[in-house]
Amino acid sequence: MTVLAHGVGSRTDLPIPIGFALYGAGAAILASFAVLLLFWRSPHLGGPDAGRPLPAGLQRLLDSSGVRRGLQAVALLIAAFVVTAALAGPEETSRNLGPWVLFVTFWVGLVPVSLLLGPVWRVVNPLRLLHRLLRPLGPDAPGAAQLPALGLWPAAGALTVFVWLELVHPDRTEPVTVAVFLLGYAAVQLACAQWFGEGWFARGDGFEAYSTLIARLSPWGRRSDGRLVLRNPLANALATPSRPGLSALVMVLLGSTAFDGLTRTVWWQTGPGSANDWFSGTVGLLLSIALVSGLYVLGTRLSGRLAGQEQGVQPARYAATVIPIALGYTVAHYFSLLMLDGQTTWILISNPFGTDGVDLFGTYGNRVDLTAVSADVIALVQVGAIITGHVVGVILAHERALLSARRARASDQLPLVLVMVVFTLGGLGLLFGF
Amino acid sequence: MTARPVRLPRAVAASAVALVLPLAACAGTDEPRPSAASSSSSSTSSSSTSSSTSSSAAGAGAASSSPGQGSLRAELDVVAGPVEQAGRISVRVGESVTLVLNSTIDDELHVHGYDLTADLRAGQTTELTFDATIPGVFEIELHDAGTVLLTLQVS
Repeated sequence: MTVLAHGVGSRTDLPIPIGFALYGAGAAILASFAVLLLFWRSPHLGGPDAGRPLPAGLQRLLDSSGVRRGLQAVALLIAAFVVTAALAGPEETSRNLGPWVLFVTFWVGLVPVSLLLGPVWRVVNPLRLLHRLLRPLGPDAPGAAQLPALGLWPAAGALTVFVWLELVHPDRTEPVTVAVFLLGYAAVQLACAQWFGEGWFARGDGFEAYSTLIARLSPWGRRSDGRLVLRNPLANALATPSRPGLSALVMVLLGSTAFDGLTRTVWWQTGPGSANDWFSGTVGLLLSIALVSGLYVLGTRLSGRLAGQEQGVQPARYAATVIPIALGYTVAHYFSLLMLDGQTTWILISNPFGTDGVDLFGTYGNRVDLTAVSADVIALVQVGAIITGHVVGVILAHERALLSARRARASDQLPLVLVMVVFTLGGLGLLFGF
Repeated sequence: MTARPVRLPRAVAASAVALVLPLAACAGTDEPRPSAASSSSSSTSSSSTSSSTSSSAAGAGAASSSPGQGSLRAELDVVAGPVEQAGRISVRVGESVTLVLNSTIDDELHVHGYDLTADLRAGQTTELTFDATIPGVFEIELHDAGTVLLTLQVS
């Protein structure tokens, strides 16, 4: 079974209607200038200490190590079960739980869950539990001192490996590939955590970093004094700690999602990607990431130059403002996969090992209903996500500019805003299929 | 008016596909634009395929229809070797699609999403007819060879 786009799936989305693409583009450009010219002229959204604290009792419960270990143990059992099902279940991808859980339910599902509930994968990450169990067996974190300098670069690397598997690897849909990847990923992560200490997971585990990044747009935050707070997601996003590699992480997400969209276009399928092999895929994926990174660095540095600020710090300074754009791309490209092909997980869970006559939850005989969400709704969600991401991104960049210089001129922000417009028009173009 | 299947060079066939669509969809809005664009780009790619003498192609196609009934008939050669992307055919929701496959190899054809399969036998012609009731873009692939013959766009 081969599929062109995003790991698994039986369908891809229709090109959005030309009217949607044009109205969306117009709305994005208009909104950008409205934000620059009409919005507030001094910082407005609240700093890292904003927010309404949760009751102390609730915080104690959520932060208690017992609750976390329990949740991690449950996640570990589920992960072990999925790997076992991938190896011992039916060999056909369409009947094996493994690829659907990894590429749809987990990878795509992590986005809405993190957006609603906060950095959940940090709380339930089963690798953290395994690390605690294995830690006494090896050296005690001799590399811990190097971790802060590495920042989020290891996570950006880990996610690049995963998106390469998801979008390029020729056998990505094979259950065995999924099992080998999960086991290999766990082994590498645990080895790194042994060397660098438990702090590794926040910086080197791609899935945890991804969940935490998306959670920056959730209402759940942590004040600098450690209190859990509910606050404006925009303030939450701006409070993202600046770490080396943060912008790289966002660019990997943006570039890989753009590449996923690109592989669905007729232009790619009959042109550069017609061989449908690992070479064209690898080059295409890396070029996509390089292209969005180049544009982003150019836009932020030019903005910094106009404002008379040091240019080298600009890409890191504005990294959090691109998270909503990357999230918009993600929703636009994966919404239908989760809603339609995502049903497969709940069908296969009734009989994970393909045993005759087994139907645990009475769903095994169901068929995926590919008409459950209409094409119009999908197109609306796609364009809505791209435009919302754009508007939020421009607002965040505006506030960030005001925070960095009280009297920041609107015109100084123009290069970055133009790059955001390019990302958005590019995203709409990919949905339209060129 | 009866369906009149004609084998045409791919480039001509592709424009025939594009021509069929406005007839099949009387209330055509701005939708056919992307499909026309996709058909013409597919013709370019497979004309270069047929000019190369290596046996790496899913080659010529032909299309005809009964106007008003909303149906599309696409004819394809299936041969061994790596298949180049054969482009995209577009139909409206509710139309009837007939695939005519002249195969020189044994394989199994799979229409994704609709989850239809057809056994192909070397030297035989296989027809597969179905109603395009699910909107979306679907791959039509050869199971054993693991290659995509066509993509079908239902809108």
